Amino acid sequence: MRLFSRFVALLIAAAVAACSDSSTETGFAGLAQQVGEVEESGFQQPQPGDTLVFPDDWGPHPQHRIEWWYLTANLETSDNQPLGLQWTQFRQALKPRAVESEPPHPQTWPLEAAWMAHGAVSYGGEHWFEEKLARGDVGHAGATVEPFRVWLDDWRLEATAGSDVWRLQVKGDGWSYDLRLINTGDVVAHGNDGFSAKSASGEGSMYFSLVDLQIKGTVTLGDETLKVSGVGWFDREWSSQFLKAGQQGWDWFALHLENDEKLMVFRLRENEGAFVSGSLVGAEGEVEPLSGDEMTLTPAQWNESAQGRVPVTWRLKIPEQGLNLTIAAPSGDYWNAGLYPYWESPVSVTGSHNGVGYMELTGYRD
Amino acid sequence: MSSPVLAVDGLSKKFISAGQRVPVLSGLTLGVHSGESLAIVGRSGSGKSTLLNLLCGLQKPDEGAITVVGESFDSSGNSDSDARWAELRRRSIGVVFQDANLMPALSLLENVRLRAHLAGLTAGGERDWLERLGLGAEADRYPDQVSGGQAQRAALAMVFAMAPALILADEPTGSLDRHTADEVAECLFTMQRDTGCALILATHDTALATRCDRLLDLSAVKPSGAG
Amino acid sequence: MMLVRAFVSHYRRHPIQLAALAMMIVLATMLWTGVTVLTDQARNSLFQSEEAVAARVHVVRSDGEPIGVNDFVALRLAGACIAPWLEIQRPPPEGRVIGIDLLAMGCFGDAAPGGEAGTLDGAPFVDISEAVRLSGEEYDSRLYLLAASENPALPDGYALREFSLGPATGELADSFLLNLDALSLLVLLITGLLVRSVHRLGIAQRQHSFDLLHRFGVPRRRVRQLLALELVVLTGVCVLPGLWLGAQLAGMLGGGFGQALDSLFDVTLYAGSTESLPWQAAGIMVLLVLAVCLVDWVVPQTWQDAAVSGRGQLVAVAVLLVGLASVALAQGLAGVFLGTALVFAGTGWLTPGLLAILAQRRADGAEVYGTGPLIRWRLRELAVMFRHLALPVVALQFAMATVLAVQALVTTFENTFEDWLAQRLEAEFYVQVPPGADASLAAKRLSELEGIGPWHRVIRGKARITAGDSGKAMGAEGESVSADLFALTPIGDLVSDWTLLASVDQPWQNLERGGVMINEQLARRHRIEVGDPLRILLAGTEASTSVVAIYADYGRPAGEVLMSGAELPENFSARFESFSVNPGELAMADISEQLGSIWNTPEVTVRDNASIRALASQVFSQTFLLTRAISILTLVLAAVALLIMGWVFFTTRVWYFRLLGIWGLPASAIRSQLRRLSVTLTLTVTIAALPLGIWLTWVLVSRINPLAFGWSLPMDLYPFFWLELGAIAVLTGLVIAQLMRRQLVHRVSDKQVEA
Repeated sequence: MRLFSRFVALLIAAAVAACSDSSTETGFAGLAQQVGEVEESGFQQPQPGDTLVFPDDWGPHPQHRIEWWYLTANLETSDNQPLGLQWTQFRQALKPRAVESEPPHPQTWPLEAAWMAHGAVSYGGEHWFEEKLARGDVGHAGATVEPFRVWLDDWRLEATAGSDVWRLQVKGDGWSYDLRLINTGDVVAHGNDGFSAKSASGEGSMYFSLVDLQIKGTVTLGDETLKVSGVGWFDREWSSQFLKAGQQGWDWFALHLENDEKLMVFRLRENEGAFVSGSLVGAEGEVEPLSGDEMTLTPAQWNESAQGRVPVTWRLKIPEQGLNLTIAAPSGDYWNAGLYPYWESPVSVTGSHNGVGYMELTGYRD
Repeated sequence: MSSPVLAVDGLSKKFISAGQRVPVLSGLTLGVHSGESLAIVGRSGSGKSTLLNLLCGLQKPDEGAITVVGESFDSSGNSDSDARWAELRRRSIGVVFQDANLMPALSLLENVRLRAHLAGLTAGGERDWLERLGLGAEADRYPDQVSGGQAQRAALAMVFAMAPALILADEPTGSLDRHTADEVAECLFTMQRDTGCALILATHDTALATRCDRLLDLSAVKPSGAG
Repeated sequence: MMLVRAFVSHYRRHPIQLAALAMMIVLATMLWTGVTVLTDQARNSLFQSEEAVAARVHVVRSDGEPIGVNDFVALRLAGACIAPWLEIQRPPPEGRVIGIDLLAMGCFGDAAPGGEAGTLDGAPFVDISEAVRLSGEEYDSRLYLLAASENPALPDGYALREFSLGPATGELADSFLLNLDALSLLVLLITGLLVRSVHRLGIAQRQHSFDLLHRFGVPRRRVRQLLALELVVLTGVCVLPGLWLGAQLAGMLGGGFGQALDSLFDVTLYAGSTESLPWQAAGIMVLLVLAVCLVDWVVPQTWQDAAVSGRGQLVAVAVLLVGLASVALAQGLAGVFLGTALVFAGTGWLTPGLLAILAQRRADGAEVYGTGPLIRWRLRELAVMFRHLALPVVALQFAMATVLAVQALVTTFENTFEDWLAQRLEAEFYVQVPPGADASLAAKRLSELEGIGPWHRVIRGKARITAGDSGKAMGAEGESVSADLFALTPIGDLVSDWTLLASVDQPWQNLERGGVMINEQLARRHRIEVGDPLRILLAGTEASTSVVAIYADYGRPAGEVLMSGAELPENFSARFESFSVNPGELAMADISEQLGSIWNTPEVTVRDNASIRALASQVFSQTFLLTRAISILTLVLAAVALLIMGWVFFTTRVWYFRLLGIWGLPASAIRSQLRRLSVTLTLTVTIAALPLGIWLTWVLVSRINPLAFGWSLPMDLYPFFWLELGAIAVLTGLVIAQLMRRQLVHRVSDKQVEA
């Protein structure tokens, strides 16, 4: 697979002229790059003041370099065993395109955008992961708004006709899942009406979530098919730059607390210090942006893993909200070993509140 | 007596040894007539072989003149002297060495034929020569299939087959045992008498030398200024 | 110490012998190392390229329609792991490129292109979008969908087929490398013979001193040990510069070789992939030298005697016959190579003896009188030389046979290639019809032009053909097969020179009247003959026709159908159209300007076929530079060896030439005898090499080529080259005579002087 990483790195390097070291270091989620270069490249960069537009923002943003559709779910099997799963589909543009312009013809096998899908299941201390890649505009990978559909090969998330139910089908090597998702809440716009700052100097992304997903379905692991149900968290995020120069990676948490509050917190690690931000969603759906000076997020326990040292337990304190949480991954190895490996695991929350959630950690690879 | 087959006048030859010119022969004069035999004796290095070489044109004298079968050569070495000498060796001068007188790739008979052919003789009779020398049964053998004495007799057959006016023999029995040597010598002298050619024979063997009509001791006629 | 000095003294007295032995070892090491380095590099590259083509099956549509992007999407959406593979056939020098989608190949997992070969640098792989861009409308392109596994779950309407790239790239290159290996083995064999001959000569000359040593109480075993040690030291010393020179040779030829591999087999040569000197080559050389020089100690004397005895000769004949039979009957390359080795062994074994016997016979047949005796003597000497110089004679024979065969092969390739080029680039200029432009209008204009040379319009597309009667199944399941369609109009002088392998009377007129011609590959693969009825499906209409000719395709793997443009149905959609034009009295610029105005485009793509041809030929010559270089170097080596051997051997015969002088043969006549002897020697060897060389040509062209490449080349002989080789032989003979003559002159009558 070395070739692929080289190839993708090459593609990306060619397209954005970025430093390939930091691109592999920081992964697909963003490239360390000066804003000026973004402007020169012709990609749009979200600005404070940008707002969300529905339903268009469910679909792709060809004028932005990178975006994703991201689901994490904390489920339980019929015998109450916790099961976490994840599905993400990324779009990485190599070339910006105006929204109104026609996409290139599939016959030309265009390479204006690459798609990548990740699927993972974590159950009983084991972790299954698979990655799929495709070029955009040919037809086997893409996203549409009406009907809502995000797909890559036979992996797809789609709204079922005539209902509010979404269906997610993912098939890995020796595992698969088929889920029905019902959204019971409103769209949560993070940051400033959807503009989520990612550094003190103002770079950021557009970011919204569905935090009240009720999920039912089946997960097949080997020969065993499990009935599962539980809660999910769905993110939509796009930008042309996530990490700026000097940022090494991020730690992201999405938590469902027992009191029906939901909490999203992320921390971008910088050479000196970190940029921390988040959102607290109340039981009634009210959203409160959280800034870095309101909270402390610190690793509490590190584990050695095959790919590097990973902080598997965290302390999160938000005194004003009365939150003092310990966030811990279950035992096991939760590396998503794709082109750009990162750690992603379900977590349990204890402390002032109990709960479940997901944690994604990038940039910890040796 | 008729004019000599060979006449040598004032023949001198020097060799270069260790940077110095060492005289080997100096002012030698002699004559040999048809049917006459001359033995050249002397210790090793006295110039026996050199003299024979000079007498058949394989080497050039520094001084003096040689006349063989009416052909005259002087020390100046005319441009055509090589060709004339070659012609003489083909037709008139037979040369016999101590050994290696035969072409190993040819049978005895073929050797004789080759020699006769070179002498310009086309008539048959080569086999007769071999028979006269007692080699009738060995005619079709190759040199490495016959004894040393037989090989030397074959060499004699070759020489006589060309009907030479002069035979130069350099230690013709030198590598043979006494008995065989006597046989070969007998052949040589008998045939020489029969054909009436002149014979000059260089040898260490006094028995052989005394069979000749005359004797020239090169050690005795040591050139002036020499050792 | 004294012993060592006694050993060394021989070479002090015979420095040329030592130099000859050393030179042989150096040159042999150089050749072997050079070839080893190159083939190793090529093998590595090839291996990596093969890694890149891990897929062995591809998906086709059950309805026989060509596969397209839609099919790719449908299959991927259905969950099948497939990846596109778009082949673009461009004429040399660019050659073939293959467009791939590494992102789609991601699902191939570890079986996907791995290693270093998959870099998308156009050699031959490029990103598929780039391939599409390169192909434009100009070149043939074909899309395949490779499947990762033998059993992917395919939706209805699709089926799997074996995936092979025409003649498989791997096999082609493998065969090329195999040939090169065989050649280098032959070189090794030849140099082995030469080393042995020089060494044995030395041993023969030293036998006396060895005997002396033995008499002085040195055990024979000790002498042998010292001899072996001497060889090891000598080889060790000579192998080093040989290795270095070999690496230099590889570096020098690497570029051309790389380009050859690249253009012939799409294998990129990664220069420098062998970083260090190939020490194993050094080991092989030391072993070889020890083996050929010391074999006499291992093989019992009785065996050695038997080898040249009548019974030995019988064995040699048997070996030769077995070799001939196995080459003729072998089903695989290995069998052919083994058989070839046996034939060489048998021939080498027999040749010197046979030549000696021949010379002997001729000698016996010479006239008894007249000039006969001298001729007889010379022929006898020749027979002696054949026996004594057996090894270098055989080496020269092998080298000459090799050079001859390689030359014939290369020339055949070259001519075939020329014909192929001539067929593809039949006119001086080639004009591409832009997409959407009206080719008929342009054709009309061209037909109106005064003074224009021959031209025609080529309409290309796809056709499906079915054998007309039920007796013949076309495909594996009896379905129709797809073929590339070429429709020409008007049919004129540009094509009438094509090589037709079989045809009816007046084939081109018959083509105009509705017949079709097919290419050799299609005919062979489906056993179609001239006169066979054929159904041809074009744009949904099926028409019946018959085959009027089969034309040579020079190995193009795709099936082709050639027909008259007038016979195309109205609704036929051409994939691509072009004009082949000889401008005649007009200037091509004017013609293209006129076409541009018809097509309403300022830029008409005009290709100058002459320049393409020149480039192609240039690439071709580079391709075979290596093969030629090796064989000629071998020839030189063999000739030099014979020269040295002849010279050394002559020292043992010089007395007999002098004897001729004493017997009154003039010097010029002796020189003439010398020249005749040595020239007869080398010329006879050349003549002895001819049958072997012709046979080897046949093996390369008619046995190895079909087995490795799947198609055979015409076997052509090039007698003019034989004459060239003969001239080289004469030259070698004259040089040998010259060297001998110097010995004759320099040591005038020392035999007498010594006395």
